[in-house]
Amino acid sequence: MTGRIELPQGTVDLLILRTLLSGPQHGWAISERVQQVSSEVLSIQQGSLYPALHRLERRGWIKARWGTSGNNRRAKYYELTRSGQKQLDAETEAWRKLSLAVEQVLEGA
Amino acid sequence: MLTDLRYRVRALFRHGEVEDELDEELRFHFDREVQKYIGRGISEEEAKRMARLAFGGHDKVKEDCREARGTGFIELTLDDAKYAIRQLVGNPTFSVVMILTLALSIGANSAIFSVINGVLLKRLPYEQPERLVRIFLSSHDFPKFELNPWDFLDFRARNHSFDSIAAFTRGDVQISGDEEPVKLNGFGITSGYFRVLGLRPELGREFDYQAEIPGNGLQVILSDRLWRTRFGADPNIIGHKITLNMQPFTVIGVMPAGTEHPGNEYHSVAYGESVDVWWPFSFGGNSNQRGSHFIEGIGRLKPGVSVDHARAEMNAIMMQLGREHPDGDSGWKVLVIPLYTEVVGASRQMLLVLLGAVGIVLLIACANAANLLMARATARQREIAVRLAMGAPRFRVVRQLLTESLVISCAGGVLGLLMAFSGVRALVMLLPANFPRANDIHVSWPVLLFTLAVSLATGLLFGLAPAMQASRIDPKEGLQKATRGTTAGKHQNRLRSALVMAEVGLASVLLIGAGLMLRTFLNLIHLDPGFKEDHLLTATLSLPHSQYKTGDQVAQFYSRLIVRLNTVPGVESAGAGSDLPWTGYDENAGFTIEGKKPPTGEGFHARYHMATPGYFTAMGIPLVEGRFFTDADKEGAPATVIINHAMAAKYWHGENAIGKRMTFDDNPKKDSDWLRVVGVVGDVKDQPNSPGAEPAFWWPENQQSQSDMSIAVRTKADPRQAISGLREVVHQLDPGLALADVKLMNEVADSSVATPRFTFALVGLFAGLAIVLAAIGAYGVISYTVGQRAPEFGLRIALGAQRGDLLRMVLTQCAKLAVPGTILGVMLALSLSRVVRGLIYQVSPTDPVIISAVVALVLAVAFLASYVPARRAAGADPMTTLRTE
Repeated sequence: MTGRIELPQGTVDLLILRTLLSGPQHGWAISERVQQVSSEVLSIQQGSLYPALHRLERRGWIKARWGTSGNNRRAKYYELTRSGQKQLDAETEAWRKLSLAVEQVLEGA
Repeated sequence: MLTDLRYRVRALFRHGEVEDELDEELRFHFDREVQKYIGRGISEEEAKRMARLAFGGHDKVKEDCREARGTGFIELTLDDAKYAIRQLVGNPTFSVVMILTLALSIGANSAIFSVINGVLLKRLPYEQPERLVRIFLSSHDFPKFELNPWDFLDFRARNHSFDSIAAFTRGDVQISGDEEPVKLNGFGITSGYFRVLGLRPELGREFDYQAEIPGNGLQVILSDRLWRTRFGADPNIIGHKITLNMQPFTVIGVMPAGTEHPGNEYHSVAYGESVDVWWPFSFGGNSNQRGSHFIEGIGRLKPGVSVDHARAEMNAIMMQLGREHPDGDSGWKVLVIPLYTEVVGASRQMLLVLLGAVGIVLLIACANAANLLMARATARQREIAVRLAMGAPRFRVVRQLLTESLVISCAGGVLGLLMAFSGVRALVMLLPANFPRANDIHVSWPVLLFTLAVSLATGLLFGLAPAMQASRIDPKEGLQKATRGTTAGKHQNRLRSALVMAEVGLASVLLIGAGLMLRTFLNLIHLDPGFKEDHLLTATLSLPHSQYKTGDQVAQFYSRLIVRLNTVPGVESAGAGSDLPWTGYDENAGFTIEGKKPPTGEGFHARYHMATPGYFTAMGIPLVEGRFFTDADKEGAPATVIINHAMAAKYWHGENAIGKRMTFDDNPKKDSDWLRVVGVVGDVKDQPNSPGAEPAFWWPENQQSQSDMSIAVRTKADPRQAISGLREVVHQLDPGLALADVKLMNEVADSSVATPRFTFALVGLFAGLAIVLAAIGAYGVISYTVGQRAPEFGLRIALGAQRGDLLRMVLTQCAKLAVPGTILGVMLALSLSRVVRGLIYQVSPTDPVIISAVVALVLAVAFLASYVPARRAAGADPMTTLRTE
């Protein structure tokens, strides 16, 4: 599909953490939500979503537990941990700085 | 950090659970995706297709997740290993040949390394052993000689290089008391002997300087073993008196277990826990008489003082002493030898040669394994091509193949280690009895690490080339080819041929080595020893000075003993002498020969011995001229001496020595100061492989009696039957005496060739292993090419070729491998001849007979190995081969 952008790893992590800020979600919901909120521009491929979730879990920024999804199936829900929230704040801050700086360069040049 | 670790540990150990969860998670995702498409009004089938497309490779996602979990490497390796094991189980002949050949080679390496580790690498069991040195003297005639006690005292007083030095000398004692008298290994030691070694008694103390004064010597230090076996580990033994040599000695110390004797030259006792008692060496007599050398020096260097520096200082002191005592002390140099060199120096070269030999076996095994792997990789071309076509990266294929070779080599390593355990036990039993540090040889931690390292290195060494080569396959080509039977590239064939050539060459080197060792061993056992070792029983006796005070008493005892021994049934002749051949005896004396001047710079000197009448007859030493001793050669009768052929040849060259006179007196005045040569006997060398016999002479025991004697009893039948008779006779004469070292002379002779036998047995074993491996290698390559060329052979027969022609073709191919390999091996062996020169006896390292025999053997084995595949080629059926094409 045209109009979609391949995301670098760090950005995928940031988007996942941000999506989980509103509450626990399973993998599919996370990818759907990112797609919706970004007006179908950003999409996280499964190939990078699940490895990213496992990596974030290993780092202790999110934790996983099994729950029941809407259609009564077992699903693995991820939620933000305290250190994950801190990480999200730090990464958001860094992202803002970066995009602002890039913006300035693009404008000014 | 902690979460991370906990997470990884769970991922690794609850692997199945984690994987199942991942599966479920991914399935859930997939189903939701499908539902999403269905919700948009797409048919279920189409929805599933789209979801699958969006999903990408399921397995790829899983592998990436594993990677993300931080356990990818280990899990991948486990997967690879499981796959490898499946491959090996599915191919049992290949696996068994690979693992067994590697196990034998790795096991042999581990066993030899156990010996090297115990003997050469392990530190000597003393405090800072690198600071310990042995001190000897050296002169023109005596390259390595003991010290004179007075010289030792001067060394001790004047040196600045040593923290302390001490001296010791062999002096066995007989212990008696409630139990049967027993002879013990004993040493006289100076004060501070144990301090030099860095050892402390577990009970009591060591001797002080007071104990060195004559008359204070009735003290003793016991070994831990003696204390336990003879005194029931009595904790209050210090201060008690025990009976040694019929005299009361006060126990002043007990040494702990693990007190190892540092080895000695003079009347040597094996290295290790071989000493039972230590008594104080006392300095008595005239300190200006310095001709008598019988104590050995040992010293601990001050920190930072080098061996060279100490040697220089000791030689400067020796020069001073030479000026102060020109009679006894001039012409000597001091040898300062690190203790380590002294203990293991002689066995070092032999062990390194064995390590080299066993290393060659391992190299051959590696070449062999690489060869077999390459042959199999060709057969697996299709499998590899499929994996590459399915998108497996090349490095994953290399990794998979390397894991396989590592699984093989590690299986070989584990099996090899099991073999090493029993191998080491056999090695220690085979070792010569006096081999240094034999008690330190075990399969220990360093050996386990060594085995692990060797196994891994082996796996990489033989696995890398085949793996790289296999992964270079072009998937398309591989798949096409694979449908038509497998062929390998030219490059691979060349590599495999080179490997077989190397195997053949290295095996030839080992076979030549084994041939040299065999020749050496045969030369030694076929040497004429100069005496007859069969039917000969030997033993030693020492008469305590407290009871046998005069020479007359000693002489009388031995006369009576010999008379009685001759009456024992089965005894042919009996005698006693100061020593037995091949036991390291080395006592020397200087003298004057009537009417002769010694060559400038050296005096007349020869090895001295004592002998009773009957000694030479019992030993089987032949008379060359004159007569043996008789009972008439006694105290008061004219003094006589018997010399050996070497002495006659050296000092009476071209003359008749019989009737000539020699003296030990500096100013002989009367006739009785002279000894007359009455007999010349055949030569007996110091050791079977000594270059020649030393000049030697014998005093009659009745004129120059010695209380410690060796008994020789020649029997008609099995000498073992005379043992009880010998014991009985000794007991009847003096129940307080301990008969010791009861041995058959052919046992003594046997142990004197133990080292060459050991070397030959091992090098021979390794060479055998090597030639079998090389044969497997040659068979593998030839039979592989025969298989490859089967269609060609079939075609040739169809076109009228004779079967004999095909046979010849294959054998020619074998010759192309074996002949250059053998030539290479012979050249390598010739260039290594310097290495073995010290280990062989009366055979040249370039011996043409051995080399041609080895060349013939290797070529024969190579042809034999290729004969089976050659027959197969000749038996090719043109119809079947053409049909399969």
